[in-house]
Amino acid sequence: MVNCKGIALISFAILGLMIYSCDPLVNKFDDVEDAEMYTAKNIETPPNNIDTLIFMTWNIRFGVARLPWFGDCCGNKVIVEKSDVHQNLENIANFINEVRPDIIFMQEVDIESKRTAYIDEVQWLLDNTYFNYGCYASMWDAQFVPSDGLGRINTGNAILSRWKIEEAERIQLPLRGDQDALTEYFYLRRNLLKTKIAVPGINDFYALDIHMSAFSTDDTKQRQLDRVIEELETLDNTNCQFVIGGDFNLIPPGSDSTDFCDEDKCAGESFHGPNDDPMHKEGSYFTPEIDWLQVMYYNYSPAVPHPDYLSDQEHYFTHTPEWDGFWNRKLDYLFTNMSWITGTDSTYQDITVQNSLSDHVAVSAKLEVGNGK
Amino acid sequence: MANKNILRYIGILLILIGMNSALVSDEISANQSWSSGTAYLLPVKRYEIGIFQPLRYGLSETREISLHPIFAFVSPNLNLKLAHDKIGNLQFASDHGIIYPTILMNLISREGTGGIISPEFEIPHMISIYNGVILSKPLGNYHLITVKVGFNFAIKFGELDKRTTIDLPLVFPRLNVFYNSYGFRGGCDLKGKIFKKWYYLADIDIFYFPGADEDFAFEHKGLIQWNKSKKFQLCFGYKLSYCNYPFGSQWHLLPAFDIQFAKQLKTKK
Repeated sequence: MVNCKGIALISFAILGLMIYSCDPLVNKFDDVEDAEMYTAKNIETPPNNIDTLIFMTWNIRFGVARLPWFGDCCGNKVIVEKSDVHQNLENIANFINEVRPDIIFMQEVDIESKRTAYIDEVQWLLDNTYFNYGCYASMWDAQFVPSDGLGRINTGNAILSRWKIEEAERIQLPLRGDQDALTEYFYLRRNLLKTKIAVPGINDFYALDIHMSAFSTDDTKQRQLDRVIEELETLDNTNCQFVIGGDFNLIPPGSDSTDFCDEDKCAGESFHGPNDDPMHKEGSYFTPEIDWLQVMYYNYSPAVPHPDYLSDQEHYFTHTPEWDGFWNRKLDYLFTNMSWITGTDSTYQDITVQNSLSDHVAVSAKLEVGNGK
Repeated sequence: MANKNILRYIGILLILIGMNSALVSDEISANQSWSSGTAYLLPVKRYEIGIFQPLRYGLSETREISLHPIFAFVSPNLNLKLAHDKIGNLQFASDHGIIYPTILMNLISREGTGGIISPEFEIPHMISIYNGVILSKPLGNYHLITVKVGFNFAIKFGELDKRTTIDLPLVFPRLNVFYNSYGFRGGCDLKGKIFKKWYYLADIDIFYFPGADEDFAFEHKGLIQWNKSKKFQLCFGYKLSYCNYPFGSQWHLLPAFDIQFAKQLKTKK
C-alpha cells in the first residue's frame, strides 16, 4: 500500500492536471498577437515591376452565398452541406480569378466551423486562386457554442497576397458594451488584421483588414474605429504607406437612408411603435452613427470618393441582409494614405447578385505605385 | 416562454449529466460493492447511485441491472450485466445494453440557448444495442484488473443527417455508432487500494468504428476514491480524451468527480 506522502503527491498531481485541464471553451485573445500565416500549395512567381496595384475588399459570408442563414437574414438554416460550401467557394474563386486583385481583404472567412463543414476556407482559396500568401485573424474561436446548433466555430478576417506577408498582427478591438457577461463570453471578438507585405516599389507597405461590430447598439463601433485610427495614425506618422479595407458596418456620412429597421425586420418583429422594445432592430439603425466615418473620409483617400457616392448612392451599395433582396446600403470600404487612380473603383453589384456569392458585394480599386504621399 | 426556458435548461443539464456519467461511471473496489466496470456484480438487493452515475441494482447473484434514472424519461436506457462461470481465477460477465436517444436529441435540437443540434434537423427514431464481455482478475489482495470488449450496433427508422453530430469529447464517440451503424468498444481498468479508505482507478477505453471518417477514440481516466463506507463514496480525478472528430483529432483533459450512495435492501431469509 502507498503511504500518506504518496497520497498527497498523487492528489496534488491530479489537482494540477485538473487545473491544467480547464481549457477555455472560447479563445479570448491578447490585445496584440501574431496572426496565423498561410502559404498556397503552389507558389506562382509574382511580378517584380508594377505600376499599379489592385486592391479588393469582400465580406464573403463564410462561403454560404445568399443562403437564408438564421443569424443574419431571418433565415432558418444553420449547418451547410460540404458540397454546397465547396460550390460557393468555387464561385468566389472564379470571381477573384476573373478580377485578379493583387491583394484582397476578406471578412467572415471560416477556417474550422461546423456550419461550413470544417473547411479551411483560407487555405482552400489560396490553393484555388493565384494568391501565394495569406494570413488570418479570428474574430470568433469557440470549441462549442451551445446555441442554435452552431457548435464549433472559428471565423475571422483574412488577407491574401501575391507577395510575401512579412509580418501579421491580430489587434483586438473593444468588445461590445451592450451585452451581459455570459453573452459576451461566447460572442464575437472583432479585430484589426495588420500586415506588412513585401510589395515591389513601396517601402514599408502595410495592408489592414477590418470588420467592425454589426449589431452593437451603443458606442462600440466608435470605440473600435478610434482604435483603428490610432493604428493608422501611427503608420502615417512613421511614413509608412497603407491600404485599409473591410466591412466597417457603418454607412457613409450624408446617406439618404439611415434607418433600415422596417426593411430588415423578420416576420413577427415590430419596431418604432410606442410599445416596441427594442425600439430599433440591432444592426439596422444607423442614424446616431451617421457621422462616425467622417474622420476616415477626412484623413484618408477613399476608393469611392465621397461626392461620387453622394451623387449616386445606390450605385455604391454593398450589402443587404435580405437573402433575396437587392443591395440597399454601403458598408464596405477601401481607404489609403496613398492615391487611388481616379475612376478605377468598382462595386461589383451585378456580378455578385447574378451569381449569388455573398450578402456583400466586392469593392475594388487601383492604386498608383511609387507616387506615395 | 418560461416552459421553453425550463426545457432548454433541462436539455443542457442532461447533456452535462451524460458527460459526467461518462467521466465517472466506475467506482474503485476489488469487492462486489462499488464494482461498476468490473466483472463482479452487486450483491443481491444492493443498489448504488451517484449524482453522475447510473442507478445499479443487484437483481440476483447472476444478474444486475442499471439505468440512468433522469435520462430514462428522455433517453430510455437499460443495461443488464450477467455473471457467468469463472474461467480459472478469472471472473467472467457479459454486458448488454440498449438506449433510445431520439427524444433527448430532439429536445436539444432547438433555436437559441441550449440548441446543441441545429433545429433544422429532425432526429429519427433509433436505438443502439451493445453486447460485450468483461473479465476481471484480482492482483494480490488489493488490486483488480479488468478487461472488456464489446460490439455496438444501431438501428435507425429514418435518415440521420451527419450534420447533427455533437462534436464534443465523450459525447461524440458514444453517439458515433448512430452515424456509422456499428462499432467496437474495448478497454482495461486497474483499480485497487492505496491506503485505508482511499482507492484508485486507472482505465483506458477504446472506441473503433470501422469504415468511418471519424473511426477512433481513446479515453483514459484517473480517479481517487474516498470510500467512507459501503454506503457512501466520493470520487475525483481527471479524464483524458483523444478523438477523431469531423474537424480533425483533438485531445481534451477534463476534471471528473462524483458523489455516490448505496443501500442494501433487506433480503428474505
